[in-house]
Amino acid sequence: MRNISSVLGRFAKSISVSLVLLFAVTMSSNAQDAKEGAALFKANCTACHKVDRKMTGPALAGMSERHSEEWLVKWIKNSGALIASGDPVANQIFEEWNKVAMPAFTQFSDDQIKGIIAYVKEEEAKAAAKSAGGDGAGSGAAASSDANTLMIIGVAAILLLAIGVIVILSRVIRTLEKVIANNAAAIEAAKARNEAHEESGKVKFAQKFLKNKKLVGFTALMVVALLAVLGWQTMWNVGVHTGYKPVQPIKFSHQVHAGVNQIDCQYCHGGAYKSKNASIPSANVCMNCHNTVTAADHYDGETSPEIMKLYRAVDWNPDTREYGNNPRPIEWVRIHNLPDFAYFNHSQHVSVAGLECQTCHGPIESMEEVYQYSPLTMKWCVDCHRTTEVNADNKYYDQLIEAHEKLKKGEKMTAAMIGGLECGKCHY
Amino acid sequence: MKENMLVMNKKNFLGAVCMAVAFAAVTTACGDGTTRSTGWEFSRNMYDPLAYNPDQPNNNFKNKQTAQTPPAGTIPQGFEKFADEYSNTPEDYQKAGAELTNPLEVNEENLTQGQHLYLVNCAVCHGAEGKGDGSITKDRSITDSRGTRQLENFPNPPAYGRSSGANSSRGGLMADLSAGKIYHTIYYGLNTMGSHASQLNPEERWKVVMYVQELQKK
Repeated sequence: MRNISSVLGRFAKSISVSLVLLFAVTMSSNAQDAKEGAALFKANCTACHKVDRKMTGPALAGMSERHSEEWLVKWIKNSGALIASGDPVANQIFEEWNKVAMPAFTQFSDDQIKGIIAYVKEEEAKAAAKSAGGDGAGSGAAASSDANTLMIIGVAAILLLAIGVIVILSRVIRTLEKVIANNAAAIEAAKARNEAHEESGKVKFAQKFLKNKKLVGFTALMVVALLAVLGWQTMWNVGVHTGYKPVQPIKFSHQVHAGVNQIDCQYCHGGAYKSKNASIPSANVCMNCHNTVTAADHYDGETSPEIMKLYRAVDWNPDTREYGNNPRPIEWVRIHNLPDFAYFNHSQHVSVAGLECQTCHGPIESMEEVYQYSPLTMKWCVDCHRTTEVNADNKYYDQLIEAHEKLKKGEKMTAAMIGGLECGKCHY
Repeated sequence: MKENMLVMNKKNFLGAVCMAVAFAAVTTACGDGTTRSTGWEFSRNMYDPLAYNPDQPNNNFKNKQTAQTPPAGTIPQGFEKFADEYSNTPEDYQKAGAELTNPLEVNEENLTQGQHLYLVNCAVCHGAEGKGDGSITKDRSITDSRGTRQLENFPNPPAYGRSSGANSSRGGLMADLSAGKIYHTIYYGLNTMGSHASQLNPEERWKVVMYVQELQKK
């Protein structure tokens, strides 16, 4: 039954696809128009519209069924004027989309706009064919359900075969046991002879090995050295987390974001240049791009499961494009952790010293998963501080030199004059 | 002769020791150097802070977070009541555009800082020159553990420059946007652009506005 329905379903789908394609071919009578429309669409419309999905503006698929071409031309040319003229449909859309106005495109000719409409129809047909292709995948799914029945039959066959084998084997075992019981004495004798022979072989090898003092000595040395090196490394690495790469709640790839996309580190880690903490971005920063970017191309038109985790965290509904009021924080696992008795300030290193992030964090832009690159030990800090030259072109040093001049002249100087009243000196 | 033998043995012995250590060092240095565990730790409590870190869970608050959003109606030091006077509506966008001017003096220092902030926070979409051709709007592909694949292109924002003649979605040329309108857009976002209020403080926003107004002249 299922087979018949899936065959019928596939038949219906292929008919609908060919109908859609036929429709597309007849409708886009002038391919040139659509081609010009494609260029115009990409240059002017994609900032707010997608054919198959809501963005800033509505999804465009089906717009020619919803509205007449004449109305669409008027709307695209100057939606504001159309709304102001009191057109009920225009006003309804305007209200529905929270009064987000579509800019006027008075520079377009009617033919150009018709070209855009033709292009959208073409894309629509392509998307429909694709989703039918997805239905092809659907029919693939039907095929895979066929495959499933095949598999079930196969498994049943294997089970039957296994039961058969077990039955036969048990019979064989029974007969063999009988044979053993009949010849017990002879077997015992043979066993004893065999064991004596084997044992003498092992003993001989051990004796030979032990006689060769050099070999014994060398083996012992190897074991001792291995344990020593292992022990040495383990002891030195107590509390050092170099190479620590924990599993994070979202598979966020720095290689994609910082490497290929070339998003500046400070776009997300905005604390690095003005605060002690480089800061983990709050999820609204992710949403600046991910309200649009869903990676659906790689997941058959569905939002990527990793991006869905972000949507759940900020309680964003991608269909209605609205936030709910039940956000849950993403619990990232901390990788770099200085002991609480060591003070470290990011802005001092990023803004004042002008260090690149990579100096300490390594090739972050090529890390699919982040790991700790530097040991973050005191020796590591001290080694760098011993060799780094100070950039004295800095107001801090002006004050320092001024203070020294005053002292040289023998002028009176109080603690307050050298920063003794700064809150942080006591309350840190 | 006997001495010679001893020397030979010593050499052999030293050689053996060297070999053993080398072998041990090589065998223990396997792997790519990354690990899922922190390894052994000595007095972990010296690493954990007494006070709460901002990113730490916290049972003292209802939502179990240490970093709390400020109570409604409070403003951080150095911030102004922008949201009270201008809401996220097209009318208030126009109002901000008409009423607000950049409080900062146009000078090289502010412009340089504005440029830096622009490159960090805006250029990824708007492009370094404001042509709407930032790195994430371009075709690009990645090769990683999932294989090679094409990444999604972010839609191009309109260009700022006068020469481009691009229109704003709220009317007029992009090149004619006033300081207040740009500030309103940074604060609330517009169309596909999200709010950047949490990433830039008011002074930084005005510096960015100043630099964008330079780009408008191009």
